[in-house]
Amino acid sequence: MSELSTEASAQSVKPTIFFDGVSSRRRQVKLMLGDVLEIVEEGGAPVRWAYADIRRADSPGGVLRLACTSAPSLARLEIRDAVLAADLTARCLRLDEHQTSRRGVAKIVGWSVAAAVSIVCVVLFGVPLAADRLAPLVPKPVERRIGDAAEVQMKTIFGRNTCEDPAGKAAFTKLVNRLRDAAGLDDDSMTAGVLPTSVPNAFALPGGKVFVLKGLLDKAESPDELAGILAHELGHLKHHDNMRGLIYNGGTSFLIGLLFGDVTGSSAVIFASRTLVEASYSREAETAADTFAIEVMHKLGRSPKPAFELMFRITGKEGGSTLTTILASHPLTEDRLARMTREDRPASGPPLLTDKEWKALKGVCGSGKI
Amino acid sequence: MNDMQWTPIGSQPLPPPLPSTGVDFTGNRSEFRKLVTKGAMLELVTFGFYRFWLVTDIRRHLWANTAVDGDAAEYTGRAKELLVGFLFALAILVPIYLAYFLIGIEFERWQGFASVPLFIGFYAFGQFAIFRARRYRLTRTVWRGVRFWMDGSGWAYAFRAMAWGLLVFLTLGLALPWREAALERYKMQHTHYGDLRGDFEGDGWTFFKRGWWLWLLSPIALLIFPLAPFFYAEFKAREWRWWLDGIRIGGVSLSSNLPHDAFYGLYWKVIGWWTLLSMAFSAYLGGSALLVVALSGVPADRVFGSDNAAKSIPMVVVMVIGYFALALAINIVMRVYLQRDLWAKVLETVKVHNIAAAADVRGSGQLASALGEGFADGLDVAGF
Repeated sequence: MSELSTEASAQSVKPTIFFDGVSSRRRQVKLMLGDVLEIVEEGGAPVRWAYADIRRADSPGGVLRLACTSAPSLARLEIRDAVLAADLTARCLRLDEHQTSRRGVAKIVGWSVAAAVSIVCVVLFGVPLAADRLAPLVPKPVERRIGDAAEVQMKTIFGRNTCEDPAGKAAFTKLVNRLRDAAGLDDDSMTAGVLPTSVPNAFALPGGKVFVLKGLLDKAESPDELAGILAHELGHLKHHDNMRGLIYNGGTSFLIGLLFGDVTGSSAVIFASRTLVEASYSREAETAADTFAIEVMHKLGRSPKPAFELMFRITGKEGGSTLTTILASHPLTEDRLARMTREDRPASGPPLLTDKEWKALKGVCGSGKI
Repeated sequence: MNDMQWTPIGSQPLPPPLPSTGVDFTGNRSEFRKLVTKGAMLELVTFGFYRFWLVTDIRRHLWANTAVDGDAAEYTGRAKELLVGFLFALAILVPIYLAYFLIGIEFERWQGFASVPLFIGFYAFGQFAIFRARRYRLTRTVWRGVRFWMDGSGWAYAFRAMAWGLLVFLTLGLALPWREAALERYKMQHTHYGDLRGDFEGDGWTFFKRGWWLWLLSPIALLIFPLAPFFYAEFKAREWRWWLDGIRIGGVSLSSNLPHDAFYGLYWKVIGWWTLLSMAFSAYLGGSALLVVALSGVPADRVFGSDNAAKSIPMVVVMVIGYFALALAINIVMRVYLQRDLWAKVLETVKVHNIAAAADVRGSGQLASALGEGFADGLDVAGF
């Protein structure tokens, strides 16, 4: 079409439809391309759109659908004739100004990468730092409340009541107290007990609670074996590892979840990366607790090695594929045993328990029944 | 200036019951495939933040290519709204998560695992989010220059969903048709197109009659795994058809003759792609493991040994990249088959009756915020 054409004479066979954005009525219109676009419905007042205000709206193929920034926001003009559409497009210079351009996409990518880098940095450096600094500051009562909750849970799993044989309990208390004094834990509310379950394990809970499961006690062959493991658990208490772990896990889960959103359609990636990051963090804590156990046992003049022989008897050799090494929450038992062998020293202090006390402790849960 | 064109609808003689009109979907499949492929790549490099733009583009494509009575719909929502909605939702969800944690501790002190029922609270919140997300999508849906909109309360909906959910749980799923009917009725009766009000006329009994035997036979599908996709496809097809048959907006009604086996092909194609991609992923892992062994010169058992943590890092990187590629490919497959193809397949069976009732509808309703979509995203209950 020529530059001079002020009137689109070739109103084609394909109708041009106008919706005024106020009603859903389908209006067949003619267009006058003058200084402004005039939309004329037979028998109605013409509607004027300035070319600079006209924007493209989404449409199926073969239809040019236009909106106007100065008209009602849902007013739409639909042109089905290709020639007319081309003519009008040429006059509307700001037709695609509002669409996401290549530069817009680059901007999204740039900001996302910046956000991701900052989240990763916070996960790797910020959250551990915050956890280390905040954990010792958590007030004792709060820590104890969390510990109480965890204790109720553990007891639901491993049996309601701690083992209560008086002689065994006295021996256990003696052992724990000796370790506690050597460890320099001044927590007056520290509690310890044996739970009647065959699972061989021991754990420390926030608020100074240490529990040994009967399965571990059964497998232990000397007081030193049990003492080393208790010393390790006391190490966790001393280092506030529970609270650190809580803050750390909460923080990383939240941030990694925020980062990935639903990119994989599931939370597999979130789970995997959390496991990786948290496992390395927890391995550090375990190694620190091992160091602590070595110090305590040396202070008492006993060797830390038997405890890790006990551990090795329970877990067996663990080293397998790369994956288990990277995902493991604890250092591998054989690595820990090797470390303890280096730290092995002949006993210089008195035995922690007498033979009689040790026998009583082994029978703390009564005769065999769980 | 257009005010004078307001002619009352009554002044035009109503035409006799018209032959029904169809719904056309004219979307180009390869265009859609390119759209989601590009979107998936960008999602990868933006660590998922591009999802707001991709979801918006998908909806814009599907809406713009769906024409009722010759006029295509339009999706006017924009990605930035979703992003802002998501950030707002986070700001609200974070304190809720914290409160959940603290209340949970108090519950646990009282009784082991007593805090588990608190999860139900999150489920209710998810239902609320579903309702509000629907409201957002609907207010961005425009046809003939008039938008859809919704009133009603998200919490009232969540309450209904919970109560019915309990009943479904107690009846081992038998009450599901009535739950769907009740919830759909609530949603549709609060749905409007301009000044037309929606309704839902499907009833639970009809749905039950169409699908009860699937419920009865479902244990078999659990035992004989290859039957499960057939069962699911049957169920979905019956559900869609029942749902479409029940939709009313003003005097306009929908019907569908979706065949019961309509989705067999779709689901099996997805499963086929899934298998193929998993095999490719395994081959990739095996190949790259061999390559690492060959390049590093360490024997295979040492590469995977515990004393070689530093040397195993390349392997982990390779695995992570492979995993992302797999996830993206599966995402593309799901979007092409389960969104675009399913959409097209369903639409071609839909008939619209008495569309003339929507010929002169006065626009109304306000835009709803994208906060609901943000919640749905944050709680991972996002709908279509």
